[in-house]
Amino acid sequence: MVLTEEDSSKSGKNNENSSDNASSQYECNICLETAKDAVISMCGHLFCWPCLHKWLETKPLNQTCPVCKSAINKDKVIPLYGRNSSNKTDPRDKIPPRPQGQRTEAPRNNFFASGLDGLHVSFGIGAFPFSFFASTFNFTTDNRMPAPPPGSPQYAEEQFLSRIFLIIAIIFIIWILLA
Amino acid sequence: MALKRINKELQDLERDPPANCSAGPVSDDLFQWQATIMGPPDSPYQGGVFFLTIHFPTDYPFKPPKIAFTTRIYHPNINSNGSICLDILRSQWSPALTISKVLLSICSLLCDPNPDDPLVPEIARIYKTDKNLYNKNAKEWTSKYAMA
Repeated sequence: MVLTEEDSSKSGKNNENSSDNASSQYECNICLETAKDAVISMCGHLFCWPCLHKWLETKPLNQTCPVCKSAINKDKVIPLYGRNSSNKTDPRDKIPPRPQGQRTEAPRNNFFASGLDGLHVSFGIGAFPFSFFASTFNFTTDNRMPAPPPGSPQYAEEQFLSRIFLIIAIIFIIWILLA
Repeated sequence: MALKRINKELQDLERDPPANCSAGPVSDDLFQWQATIMGPPDSPYQGGVFFLTIHFPTDYPFKPPKIAFTTRIYHPNINSNGSICLDILRSQWSPALTISKVLLSICSLLCDPNPDDPLVPEIARIYKTDKNLYNKNAKEWTSKYAMA
């Protein structure tokens, strides 16, 4: 990196060459222009999607990468989205749209924590007093859902429910003491 | 698409010409080119200048260009019409190939004939059995047809 910067600052001609190389790195391997609607194969070769699609259509029985001849197919290419590449307008009428990028949701860190909170509330009979406090006074931080704002119907419902549970708990304690 | 790509190849050829080869359009029609290959050193074709015609199909680069020698050449894979038996010009064509790469491949075919897939069986037989006779004939043809 440092070397190329030094090289390019040495003379204008070098500078021109290096910028030439930089843009040719993103040329489609079929039309030799800067790739439009770019897709990349699993073997790492860059193409315009319309160009690659046309090639795959030319050889439907023996689909190979034009550069390295590794097996290639429509479902195994990855679209590249730059910052300003829009997939709003699609001028390719006869060409099917580029395959979609595959996106998986990142795992949530607090998954187990909130799961345990749930356990405290529903099955907390063994550790009864602790879970009672936890659910009533909300000691543990609960990230599952934001609390409804005071005054909203959800808030009133939750207040009502918690009162019912409180009454049930008191009846339960009395029953244990009496039994 | 084809025309754009041919223009692009022409620019690349001017900027970075391959060793021992040259190519360019014959007239205004960019789909018709002529190319020359200098006989590679260390081959019996050394010193000769071989002319070829290149015809681009309209669906280039998805179909291979049609390339043929116009200069006669003594070679197991090139017949008297100038047709070249080379896999990348037929089944193994790839749109990532360029005229520059194809000419380079033809150069290496001149250095290393492939007698197991011959276009002229007689020359292939001589190449396999009597390398000296093959060299002698190839040199003779080169000085007869490929030297001005």
